[in-house]
Amino acid sequence: MNVIELKNISKIYNPDTIPVRAVNNLSLQIEQGEFTAIVGPSGCGKTTLLNMMGGLDPCTQGSVTISGVAISTLNESELTDFRLKNIGFVFQAYNLIPVLTARENIEFIMVLQKEDPKVIGDRVDNLLKRMGITEQKDRRPSELSGGQQQRVAVARALASHPKFILADEPTANLDSEATAGLLEIMAQMNKDEAVTFVFSTHDQRVIDKAKRVITLNDGAIVSDEIHL
Amino acid sequence: MMLSLAWKNIWRSKGRSFVVIGAIVIGVWSLIFMFGFYNSFIEALSRNSLYHDFSHIQVHHKGYLTEPGLAFLLNRSEELVDMGAEVPEILATSGRLIINGMIASPKTNLGIQVYGVHPTDEAQVTGLEEQLVEGNYFENSKRYPILISEKIADKLKVKLRSKLILTIQDAQANITSAAFIVSGIFHSKSPRINESVIYVRHADVVQLIGLDDQSYNELAYLLRDTETTDRVKVNIESKTENLLRTYREIAPEFDMFEQTSAITKQMITFIIMLALLFGIINAMLMSVLERTKEIGMLRSIGMHKRKIFLMILFETCIISLISGPLGLLAGFATNRYLSINGLNLSSYAGALEQYGAEAIVYPSIDYATYPLLMMIVLITALLGAIYPAIKATRLKPLEAIRKI
Ligand SMILES: Nc1ncnc2c1ncn2[C@@H]1O[C@H](COP(=O)(O)OP(=O)(O)O)[C@@H](O)[C@H]1O
Ligand SMILES: [Mg+2]
Repeated sequence: MNVIELKNISKIYNPDTIPVRAVNNLSLQIEQGEFTAIVGPSGCGKTTLLNMMGGLDPCTQGSVTISGVAISTLNESELTDFRLKNIGFVFQAYNLIPVLTARENIEFIMVLQKEDPKVIGDRVDNLLKRMGITEQKDRRPSELSGGQQQRVAVARALASHPKFILADEPTANLDSEATAGLLEIMAQMNKDEAVTFVFSTHDQRVIDKAKRVITLNDGAIVSDEIHL
Repeated sequence: MMLSLAWKNIWRSKGRSFVVIGAIVIGVWSLIFMFGFYNSFIEALSRNSLYHDFSHIQVHHKGYLTEPGLAFLLNRSEELVDMGAEVPEILATSGRLIINGMIASPKTNLGIQVYGVHPTDEAQVTGLEEQLVEGNYFENSKRYPILISEKIADKLKVKLRSKLILTIQDAQANITSAAFIVSGIFHSKSPRINESVIYVRHADVVQLIGLDDQSYNELAYLLRDTETTDRVKVNIESKTENLLRTYREIAPEFDMFEQTSAITKQMITFIIMLALLFGIINAMLMSVLERTKEIGMLRSIGMHKRKIFLMILFETCIISLISGPLGLLAGFATNRYLSINGLNLSSYAGALEQYGAEAIVYPSIDYATYPLLMMIVLITALLGAIYPAIKATRLKPLEAIRKI
């Protein structure tokens, strides 16, 4: 089953002034359980594409369908709810809530979803263990290393079992050791829980770990390869 | 969770939060202090005119107000005096014969109002005896004794036991003069009395102008309880042809004091709250702008606008719930201290006395003011939060990703 289905989508920034065609008539399907990298040089449209997949930015043309729902039909509030329930986000700059501890950050989305506290507790303990940050659970983001922060971010995205996780250059701010560690964890979660990951990168070591590599140039797909 | 997040957010910028909290504390404190000060000021003003000048009820002949003087003496004044003794609500009664006259010292002369009074009655009704600063209260004088205020003594340049010539008109418009000896000098709490009233014995004036000893043109009732004023007035009114007026009817300034005091307090509250409002808006707006990226992230991961709005509202509410009570407490403590020890304004005594107020102020405040102020602070905080909160909800989720 297709988790994400993009049909002829285009994104034109500043259509009234100096139009920039960031994504150009692109079609793509992503299936449940994929571990996919969107790659390409800076400015090729990776971020724009992920934003449209995540319902953060509407496309100028074409349609984005997620789990059978055409997201352009949702209003602002429905879309927020849709993101909350279906999509996990991991950002390049981690973007954790600075006043909350690692544990509270991971809980956050589940609490927003009004999950049962027992369920939340178990899930968070489990994720902390898998991410290898149990010892740091009561620290605030400012007391964690970049790699640890990004693991918290991945755990936060994973916590409520979203349909898929979007990660825009998740390792761009990490050193190679932390990058390897994070990818290890992401790959493991992909294997254990069949979580669908879509991430953008221009780091060759990250590309090497991906099972599917979609290469963009000037907002269009130039290659789409399965790595086994 | 929203509350705990809001609480934690407040303390991320401690300096700014403390500034806002401090501003609210000082604002509330100064309001309470000002209210207490103002209340006691107005109270003293009212109390002084009530107990040292007007009394609760005054009785005159119906014609007296249009033509003051001897033409309209009270009808059946002895009945009025008797009622003063019989009606239980009445504490004391003082009958007066008031005549315009001229008083002359060797140096100069002055137009004044002569109050012919029974010394003991007047002492009970207006506390005249206690207001003596020099001399005695109409005692053991072979000549006619007279009491004058310090102010008039100054103007006439006379001292205790000086001789003064009082000139008045009798009922037949004959001019009569007599010599009086200053037996006492008083300082009334009523500016009006200090300015223009002198006291002589009723028996002396009636003798001078040839009236009988039941001749009064004013009678004042002092009540035990101000609350009963209107009831007593109605009661006595039904038994006499004379005109009765309560202190509020005699001196509309009693109502005016209260009204202007209420308006002044409202205006000052409004101004202080307006200042706090802008302070709160400014601080919360800064706090929202600093968190642009974070709020964008919260929106991205699925936090609804409504929750973002509430988060900002909660933050402001918490700040006001911390600072409001602190300000109230500080105000309460200050007023409490001063209501026991008094606030000495002696250096302004001259100016205050002009208005009939006192040099030592004992702030007093109605307890209902505290919850009311807390409500006002909370409402101000909420109003101040609305604009920044709306700004926060307008932030686009994309900000989180773009602003790296
Ligand atoms: N908000 C924007 N307004 C205008 N142009 C933009 C905006 N965001 C991105 N672009 C342009 O769109 C193109 C694709 O950008 P982006 O999606 O960020 O690429 P990548 O993530 O691959 O570096 C670039 O040419 C970029 O300058
Ligand atoms: Mg990018």
